[in-house]
Formats: sequence, structure tokens, C-alpha cells
Amino acid sequence: MSPGLSRIVRTDWFGPFVIALAAIAIVAAFNPSFLSPLNIQVLLLAISINALIAFSQMSIIAIGQMNLSVGAIGGLVAISFAGMMEVWGFPAPVAATLALALGLVCGLLNGLVIAWTGISAFIITLASLSLYKGINLGITQAQPFYGVLDAVKAFGQTNVLGPIPWLAVPTAIVALLLWYMFNRLPVGRFILAVGGNQHAAELSGISVGFTVTVAHAISGLLAGLAGILLVARLQIGQPTIGDDWLILSFAAPVIGGAVLAGGHVSIPATLLGVVIVAIITQALVLFNIDPYLVQVVLGFLILGAVGLNRFREARLERPAGRI
Amino acid sequence: MALPDSPASPATRQAKRPMARYFLTNEFGLAALIVLFAVLFGVTAQGFLSPFNLFALGRTASINIMIGLAMMVVIVTGGLNLALGAIGVCAAIFCGFLIQDAGLAWPLAIVLALALGAALGSINGWITVRSGLHSFIITLATMSIFFGAMIFLTRAQSYRGLPPELTSFGRIKIVEIVSPLLVVTVVVALLLAYLYRLTALGREMLAAGAKAEAAELSGVRVGRVFIICHMLSGAIAAVAALMLTARNGAAIPSMAGQLGQDWLLPAFLAPVLGGTLLTGGRVSVLGTCLGAFLVTMLTSGLLLMQIGEFWIQSFLGLLLLAAVLIDKSRRMLLDRSKLS
Amino acid sequence: MTQTVFEARQVSKFFPGVKALAEVSLDLHTGSIHALLGENGAGKSPLIKIITGVYRPDEGELFLDGNPIALTGPRDAIANRIGVVHQERNLIGRFSVAENIHLERLGAFPLKPIDYAALNRMASQWLDELGLDIDPRTPVSRLSVAKMQMVEIAKALSLRSRVLLLDEPTASLTAHETDILFALLRKLRDTGASLLFVSHKLEEVQEICDRVTVLRDGRNACQSRSMEGLGRQDLVRMMIGRGEDAGRWTARDRTGNPVALQLSEVSTGLGHRNVNLAVHKGEIVGLYGLVGAGRTELAKCIMGKFPITGGQLRVGGTPVVIRSVADAIHRHGIGYLSEDRKQEGLVLMHSVLENAGITVWRQLARWLAALTDGTIRTKVAPFIEKLEVKTPSLDQTVGNLSGGNQQKISVAKWLAAGVDILIVDEPSVGIDIKTKAYLHDLLRQLSDDGTAILLITSDMPEMVALADRIVVLNDYRVEGELINSGQYDTMSHAIMDLIHRVEAA
Repeated sequence: MSPGLSRIVRTDWFGPFVIALAAIAIVAAFNPSFLSPLNIQVLLLAISINALIAFSQMSIIAIGQMNLSVGAIGGLVAISFAGMMEVWGFPAPVAATLALALGLVCGLLNGLVIAWTGISAFIITLASLSLYKGINLGITQAQPFYGVLDAVKAFGQTNVLGPIPWLAVPTAIVALLLWYMFNRLPVGRFILAVGGNQHAAELSGISVGFTVTVAHAISGLLAGLAGILLVARLQIGQPTIGDDWLILSFAAPVIGGAVLAGGHVSIPATLLGVVIVAIITQALVLFNIDPYLVQVVLGFLILGAVGLNRFREARLERPAGRI
Repeated sequence: MALPDSPASPATRQAKRPMARYFLTNEFGLAALIVLFAVLFGVTAQGFLSPFNLFALGRTASINIMIGLAMMVVIVTGGLNLALGAIGVCAAIFCGFLIQDAGLAWPLAIVLALALGAALGSINGWITVRSGLHSFIITLATMSIFFGAMIFLTRAQSYRGLPPELTSFGRIKIVEIVSPLLVVTVVVALLLAYLYRLTALGREMLAAGAKAEAAELSGVRVGRVFIICHMLSGAIAAVAALMLTARNGAAIPSMAGQLGQDWLLPAFLAPVLGGTLLTGGRVSVLGTCLGAFLVTMLTSGLLLMQIGEFWIQSFLGLLLLAAVLIDKSRRMLLDRSKLS
Repeated sequence: MTQTVFEARQVSKFFPGVKALAEVSLDLHTGSIHALLGENGAGKSPLIKIITGVYRPDEGELFLDGNPIALTGPRDAIANRIGVVHQERNLIGRFSVAENIHLERLGAFPLKPIDYAALNRMASQWLDELGLDIDPRTPVSRLSVAKMQMVEIAKALSLRSRVLLLDEPTASLTAHETDILFALLRKLRDTGASLLFVSHKLEEVQEICDRVTVLRDGRNACQSRSMEGLGRQDLVRMMIGRGEDAGRWTARDRTGNPVALQLSEVSTGLGHRNVNLAVHKGEIVGLYGLVGAGRTELAKCIMGKFPITGGQLRVGGTPVVIRSVADAIHRHGIGYLSEDRKQEGLVLMHSVLENAGITVWRQLARWLAALTDGTIRTKVAPFIEKLEVKTPSLDQTVGNLSGGNQQKISVAKWLAAGVDILIVDEPSVGIDIKTKAYLHDLLRQLSDDGTAILLITSDMPEMVALADRIVVLNDYRVEGELINSGQYDTMSHAIMDLIHRVEAA
């Protein structure tokens, strides 16, 4: 094998990439309409939103924590966005900005409480999941907001180029920015350093509390963005938005090889994880298989992926030199 | 993935002054809060102390306690069981299926449903032990698998043709205000207290949960013990779901929400309020019961006071947050009083 | 001219019930390598933590360049240019060498893009200066332990540390790597750095250090004096308060007794090859080897924690296959006293009763049968008393007891379990001298009563004071076997010869 090729093979996105290609090939072989422009568009719509959900969780996995409130933040931001347009008559950009700020604040609150108290992220985000979801239901009384502006609806329905929907644009930008942050900016490196070896990071002058807070703020912001895009796609502000994000948010990063203990995430691999999940979901629809099986398949995908990651980790880490 | 939450210094239980120590225990604090709120609601909320409300309160509390206990038995290992809602619903639906479609006698159906719960729980335990991964991600995956498979197999059907013996169990009253469901819960809680205090197995669970390596090198079969904990969790979750079925008069797939997630909050609220350490190795059955009871009572009282039903969830979230914060400061206080 | 850079004056540190450090002083000069010596539990570790800002002294003061300083934390120590190379690695495995070296400096501007080319260039300079042939782009996790250590030194130097504390730097290095490290340390010394070298390998201390502070029982046995004129025996005398006599050791030959534990040509899943070893009833067999020789690992394979892949294991003459630790204890009567008391030995958050009784629960009651505290108490209390464990009650949390008492409880649980074979791994780590002497007597007495003991220790005097025979392990193989003569000098030479014979070859 040439050195260039072997380097590609060893990258973290190569495995998911091959699986994604294989999945596309298999599904397309059985059902050629899978590669029709319409179907690609449907696929890209799902990927655009799910990728943001996955990135939201990934930012927290990077510091070795978890965020159960991703869906609750997404849902709260979504109904705030739609509600501000319907009830207060705000123009879409203002509503979107304020709603995003709300997502950021929700994440920031998670981070501040975790950093300040040192209590596990699991419990704090379980509490805030309930808090945010309750506010959502309290505001909406479980009824959707229908007054989504036409401009937003158009944004959610039209394509920018060929089968590529407008919704893919924000996601693509976010993916690039995240890649830059995790690979080039100190703040991104801090997140990974804290996830990789908190003690060492602390001794190197990295403020763990600050880093944790930043990661949670980013997570909240991304969850919020996903909520807004979902409003654009669904054309209404559903209070149930976010209810089924939990599994989804973990599936893609894990399939992409993220180390749950923290310290290692990959944007392209996570993105490919999202693609794999989308292909399988779509295939089940195309083959008229019960959509409920998606849950089962997702569960097995997570189990398989964590098992594989663990195996790889065990080979990568030599027994000596690790604590 | 670590779930470190041990602000606790283990030393705290041995503070010197026994009286002060008693008043600073979680159980005492919870009992005091329960009395306080009972008085408060009794005075302010119309009908809170009516026999019917007390009956309903006890009935709901018995189910919430059971859900809390189902989580508690896994928290002992330092793990958790996100799939307990899914397992419970699977067991309840299975019971409904056995009675309605397979025509089995209801006692047999219940036994089989409990066995299914235990089996699903032990699958969680087995995968967790064999993979060496944290039970968080394992049970997250199995929650999706169990629930999805159940919905797929039953076509999301509800089972409403349950025999009156079963459904009346949720309705009859012992001495005006006591539900038989509460009796079931008390029995299960007593059995668990016996397990942890007076058996080798229970002691091994606590030792393995506190420090798995040390327990293993002292001759505890840690893997087997952990699997038993998960199995127990599945079985108790099944009991909770069957109790809920008896109360509702039907086995409904959505009885614990999407993927059974609606049970997660009560499941964690009770043990955390009750002082069970999330990192494992310390347990309070009484605390879990009191914690779940307090949560149920607050919910009931607030509903009676016309606080919108939807806000209750926010309130419970804040309660959990407050509980962990209070717990943290309480431990800091205990540590300080010990050092001085 | 040398001058004093750092000084600790009359420093004390208290822990609940223990005075870990009592009026300890130390001063470090420029251009000097200063040894810090002391037995386990002598107070080295608290002193190191005070110097590196982890602990604050309860009494006494620290001075930097003659000015009093109060270090508020490890960060503060680094800011005051006190660098540390810890025993545990403090590097981020997935990050490159260059990034690890410079992580400190990125903190100031969280949003300023990292210039990796510049980072690599700067890192190369430091690596070159240390004469290290490492590509700065390599992820740290790919390096050998020795190289990681060098990177940590480079990191400390890049922070312009004037005082550099090295905590057991050679513990996991080969002789060759140690030589390279020493050459580096000498070079640093010659450029005026002040190094504090913490080690318990006296040969190394004599080789490289010019000044020395010895701690014993939390006090200065000597304070910052020149190494000149100090022989090995002098150092030892200061460390343990007496010469290296063999204690109450008497020659015993128990090889005539029946074999309790025998390994024939054993290979393990952890990499041991062709291990032959026999422990007779009533005998103490020492298993000596440097860190990384595979001693603890061998013990865990015998206990059934890791698989034995080849050869034969016999217990009491019968070939056995031990599948789990529980089997080893309950079926074959083998106990293992772990070197890592806090992680593997005891459940610190549980009570004395729970810890001492854990090995006998299964004997006292099956599964769900009632097992009261009273039953367990009756079983274990005699052993707790016999070992003179100082605890207010059996309900006391073990984590609150001193190291010595904790170790006694670890022993008590094996006495209660009544094992025939006891593997003892580093029994005197972190315990006081008195308890250590007591434990030594106890182990000798236990073996006199018929228990077969396999003793693992890197404390050579301890080995010579306890063992009847000594098996030398190196690189997961048995290098040879010696009959203990009780003479420290001859035995330590003989053991070292066995180990170095391989490296020289």
C-alpha cells in the first residue's frame, strides 16, 4: 500500500466512509430510485438537521460528558422561534437571532451549573431537560404555533442548487467552523485537552470550568439551530420537536468513532455517521419496512459502533503509560 | 463515559454527635419536608386531605417508588439503566398479549412478564459487563432496541381486555385510603432492604459498586453481581409497569412516553433525593421511598393548587437541581463539622 | 557561584490523626542536583506536594530567591517557575509533542488560530537542546514511556523552570534510558538549573546527586547536606534509623515441606514465558524485579484474573485451572494482598467490618440467606484485635484510618479467610516504620504456622529481611533463583547481577 493511501485508511473517517459508500451501493442496487434527485434531496434535508443534533452532542462528548437536554433545548428554541413570529410578529431574522441566543443561554446555564458545582453533567442536564421541556409545554400548552412566516417556509422547502436544499447551507458552514475550532483554535483544543486528560489540562493552565462552559454553550447553540431549521422544514412550531433526539444525537458521533471518555471527536466522521443513519432510515422507508424498526436498527448501530471503538481504543493504547 | 458525582466524603456518616448526625441524614430531611408540605397543602389546597386524594396519592406514589427502586438497584453498581421505561412497557404489553391474545391465566401472565423484564435487564447487564463500557451508552442503545422491537411486533397496539381481577387491583381500597399497590411496593422495598443489609449478595453488590477492582480481588464475582443488579432492575421495572397497567386498566405502549423516557426523571429523582450515591456503593432504600413519595406529593399538591399541569415538569427539573445542590452543601457542612 | 534558589523552612503538614511532616527544611542551590530520600511514608510525598503547590503547609514557610512565597496551587508553582515531572504522565495522549510542550502558552488567546508550523519549530528547538530525536508532530501516545518523560522535561524547561522536581523519574526506564536521562540532567545542572531528584534507588542517587535531604518519620534525618563523604550505608542509616541488618531474620529451609504452589513452564496472556516457581508450605519466597518486570501481573494471573495460556499451575500438588479470582480464594485458598490498597485492596468508603469480612461472606451465608453484622463481627473481630488495628469501632469508615491500619485490615481479611497461600504485593507501601516491622514479624510468623507466602517487593532490604528464597523476574521471565543469606550486600549484588546479566548480553 502506498504511504498516501495507508494514511487515508488510518484516518478516523475512512471506516464510516466505506460503510456509507457500501450502504449507498447496496440500497441503490435494490432500488434505483434511491439515487433520484428527489430522494437525494429528502436525504440531505434529514442529514442537515440531524448533523446539527449530532454536532451538539459531539461538542459535549469531546469533554467527556453528555448532554441529555439537547432535544429539550432544540424544542424550546423551535417553539420560541415560531412563537415570536406568530405572537409577537417579529420578522424572521430577529426571531431566529433571539431564539438562537436562547439556545446559547440554555447551554450556558447547563455549563455554568456543571462547572460551578462539579456535579455530573448527566444529572444536571437531566434536570435541565425537564426544566426546558416543561417551559416549552407551559408556553405552548402542547399546541403547535402555526404562524411561521412564508420566507421561513420557503427557506425550508427550496433548493439552493440541484438537489441541495437551502437547509444544508447553515449545516455546512457550522461543520466547517467546528472543524476549524477543534483543529486550529485554542478553545477547541482546550475542549479536547480537558476531555483527554483533565488533570494534565489543568496543570497546563487551562481553566476547566471555562472550557466546560464553552462546550455546553456551543452545544446549546447548535441544538437551537437544529430546532430552527426543523421549524423551517416542518413549517410549524411543534412542541414535540426534540423529543426523539436523544438516541439520534449519540448514534452519529459514536458511529463516527467518537471516544465517549472524551478527548477525541471527528467532524467528518460524525457527519458520515449521520449519513449512514439517514441512508438506513431512508432505505427502510423505500423498502416499505416498518419505520419503528429504525429504532431497533439505531440501537444495534450504537452497540456495534461502541464495541468497535472500544476494540480500536484497546489496540491503540498501549498498556504502559496510561493511567 | 464517567458519571462522577461524589462530592461525598465517605466519612460523613460517622460524625461524632449522634443527634446532629441524625438530623442531618437525608431520610430525616425528607421526612421533615413531607410533613411540612402535607401541612402546607392540607391548609391551602382544597381536598388534599380528602380520603380519595390520599388514596390516589398513595397509589401514584407506589408506582413512582417502584420506578425509583428499579433505578436505584443499578445505581448501586455505579451504573444506570436508561432502558427501564422501555423494559417496563415491554413487560406490561407482553402481559397484555399473554392474557388477551394467548389466553393465559393472569397469574401466569404476570410471572412471565416479570421474567421478561428480568431477562431484558440481564441482557443489559451482560452486555455492560462483557463490553466493559459504561451502562449509559449500552442502555441507551437497548432502550431503543427494546422499545422499537415491541412497537414493531405489536403494531403499537394497546391491550384493554384485561381481567377484572387485575384491573380491580388498582381500584380497590384497603381501609378507605390504602391501595393494594402500596402494599406491593412496601413489600418490595422491605425485600430490598433485607437484601442490602442482611445478605451476602447485597453486601457484594455494594462492595462491587463501590470499588469493583477491590471487590473482585477479594473474591466477589463482580460481573455476575452486576448482571444480577441489572436483572433486578428489569424485574422491578416490570413490576412498576404492571402496577401502572392495573391502575390504568390497560397496557398501553405510550404509558411511559416515547421509548419509555418519561420514567427517567422520576427514576433518578427518587434515589438522588434519597441520598443514593451515583458513583455506587451506597444505597438508601428508605430514602428512595421517601424521595419518590415527596415528589408525588408535591406534584399532586401543585396540581390541586391549579398550577398548570405542563409546568409540573419544569418544577420537577428544578427540584432535582435543588436536591443535588442541597445535598452537596449538606455534605460540605458535614465534612466541616467533622474536621473541626 | 551557587546560590539558594528555593527554600522550605520548618514546614509541617497535618492530616487527621497524623503529622505527615514535622518541621522539615530543605534548600535548593543553583547548578545542583539535590536528592530527596526517604522510605515510603517518611513524608516525601507531602513535601513534594507542598513544593509543587498541591498542599499548603500548615506551619513553616517557603522562600523563592529569599522572598517568602505562598503557593496557591499547582498553577501558581508553575508560574513561579517551579517545574515538576510527575510519576504519572501529565500529557495529552492524542495531542502532538509540540502541542503538549506549548499547551501552557495557548491559554492566553482562546480564539487566536494556532500556528502549528511555529509550534513545531519552537518545540524542535527544545527537543534539539535536550538531544532528543523526536518529531514534534508525533502524537504523544505513540512514544515510549521514557520519551514521554523527556517530553515532560522539555515542557517544564520551555516554561523556563529554575527548579525542576523529578519524582521517581527512572522508575520505568531501562538502564540505557536512565543513562540518557542522567546525561541530560547533568547538562541541565551545568547550565545552572536546580534539580530535586526524588528516588529510592540509592545507586542512582550516589551517581548523580551532589546534595541530599533525607526524611524519616516526617522529619529531617539530614537537611540539605553535601553528598561528599556519605556512603551507601550512611544513607540507609539515615533513612531507616539503623544499618541494613537483616532484622530478626534467621535462615530457614522449608524446601523439604510439601509444595503449596507450583508453576511449571507457565506462560500467561500478559506475556510471561516459561515461568518456573515453587512455594512450599511454611516458606516465604520473594519475587524480585524492577518495575515493569511483570511481578504483580504474574500474581494476578495466578489469582485467575488474567489467563494462564501455557504450562501448569499446581495448588497443593494438584494441577488446577483457576478461572476467576473468586475460585482462587474460595476453592483453592489463595489470597492476594494488593500493592494498590486504595484501588484494589480496600473499599475505602465502606466500614472496617465490611472490608475485613468481604472474604468470608460466602463462607458464612449463601446468596440470600440472612447474614447479620453480628455473625461477621464474631468471625473477623478476633483478627482485628490480634493485629491491633487502631479504630474507634468496626463501623469506622476505612478511608479515615491511617495507612498502617488500613494495611492491617487488608491482612486481617486474608487471615479471616484462612488462606493457605498468600501473595503479598509491596506490603509496606505508605505505612509507618513501626507497622512495617510488625507486619514483617507477622509474615514470618504466618509462614512458621504453615502459610505459603509469595512476597513481591521492590524494597530490597525488605526482601532480604523476609524471604527464604528469592526468585528474580525480569521482562516477564524468571532470571534465576537465590537462597537468601540474610546479607544485604551480597544478596543485592547477586540479584542485580541476575537482572543486568540480561541487559549486558
